[in-house]
Amino acid sequence: MIKAGTRQKAKTTLAFGLVPLAYIACPECDLLLNPAAPEPGDKAHCPRCGYLLQRPRMQSIERTLALSLAGLILIVPANLLPMVGIKIFGNSHDGTLWSGVSALLKEDMWAVALLVLFSSVLLPLVNLGLAFLISLHLFIRKSNHHLVRWMRWLEHLNEWAMLEVYALGIIVACVKLADMAELRFGFGLYAFIALLIVNAMLSHELDNYLFWRHIGQLNKKSAY
Amino acid sequence: MPSKAQPLCPICGHSVAARKPQSVTRTAALIISALCLYIPANIFPIMSVTQLGVAETHTIVGGIVALIQSDMIPIALLVLVASILVPLMKLLGLTLLLLCVHYQWQVNARLFTKLYRVIAFVGRWSMLDIFMISILVALVDLGGVAQVIAGSAATAFAAVVVLTMFAAKSFDPRLIWDHQLSNE
Repeated sequence: MIKAGTRQKAKTTLAFGLVPLAYIACPECDLLLNPAAPEPGDKAHCPRCGYLLQRPRMQSIERTLALSLAGLILIVPANLLPMVGIKIFGNSHDGTLWSGVSALLKEDMWAVALLVLFSSVLLPLVNLGLAFLISLHLFIRKSNHHLVRWMRWLEHLNEWAMLEVYALGIIVACVKLADMAELRFGFGLYAFIALLIVNAMLSHELDNYLFWRHIGQLNKKSAY
Repeated sequence: MPSKAQPLCPICGHSVAARKPQSVTRTAALIISALCLYIPANIFPIMSVTQLGVAETHTIVGGIVALIQSDMIPIALLVLVASILVPLMKLLGLTLLLLCVHYQWQVNARLFTKLYRVIAFVGRWSMLDIFMISILVALVDLGGVAQVIAGSAATAFAAVVVLTMFAAKSFDPRLIWDHQLSNE
């Protein structure tokens, strides 16, 4: 682990290549720091409040591109195929990600239905799409004036996509149903689990700091 | 009167400010709304379960008690943490942070910043109960034989989760550091 603040300045100016920044301010405690240039795999924390400033990854752009593409493919079966089915007294019933939303809508719980729709279906899709578009543009080095807007959306929407919380919800629901009915797991559930893993890897590999720097460089180049 | 030109970020073009605008006021308003909704969320039934014509309503606490009675302690603990402890911790923790900023308490700012980070991180996990209900409602839908219906507390509880997530987002942890006399 490298503490920021003690690193040499020459390396920083090179790393930024945009504006020769003298100092950066910690986003959570406002301490002025010499920007660190940690190696991939290392982490730079603020020495005063411990905020994680940077955590560079190897080939962040390429990996983000690959993982977001994989996620976009997996989200189709995860949404459309039945995940869990139950059998009570001879009646069987299958459920997909969508059926929860439609069942809540049918009971006039539209606020909850909308929240579930956004956090388990729409925002994961939007986030994967944004990550794919941004990393594709950075990968082929094509500038686009929407890039900054997309990146900002991605940063804000990230915490509203709650696939992993939904997975926990499935587990609790299955435990509650286990003594009442017979459970059946469909292919949609396996796709959902794969999507969950890809999503976790994606957020691990996406290096915001590097992305912002590349977006800045690309747009600066296109401005001339 | 013309307003002062907002400084803009040279890379992303968004307006920049030294501190999040009206951080304390906004956070306080969101917390108070969440506190008000926290009461109906716990009093009213969050779902009703019908089995062979017999209807039974559950509150959040009732659901946990039912899990304990059927010997599913680990799951009961999970639900207890996600739907009772986490919202409470968020409401109390953010109130503590606001009081600290308002009364300019001399505190271990590093610890308080950590508290803020934990609050911001755990917020989304309270959605567990809402997701669980949406799954149960979708699956157990067999008319009089077996049916789960979401209750009015579900809307209130979902609102608590959303409001506290916004409250955590609008609080600016740098305010904790601003009035500390010793800078360590």
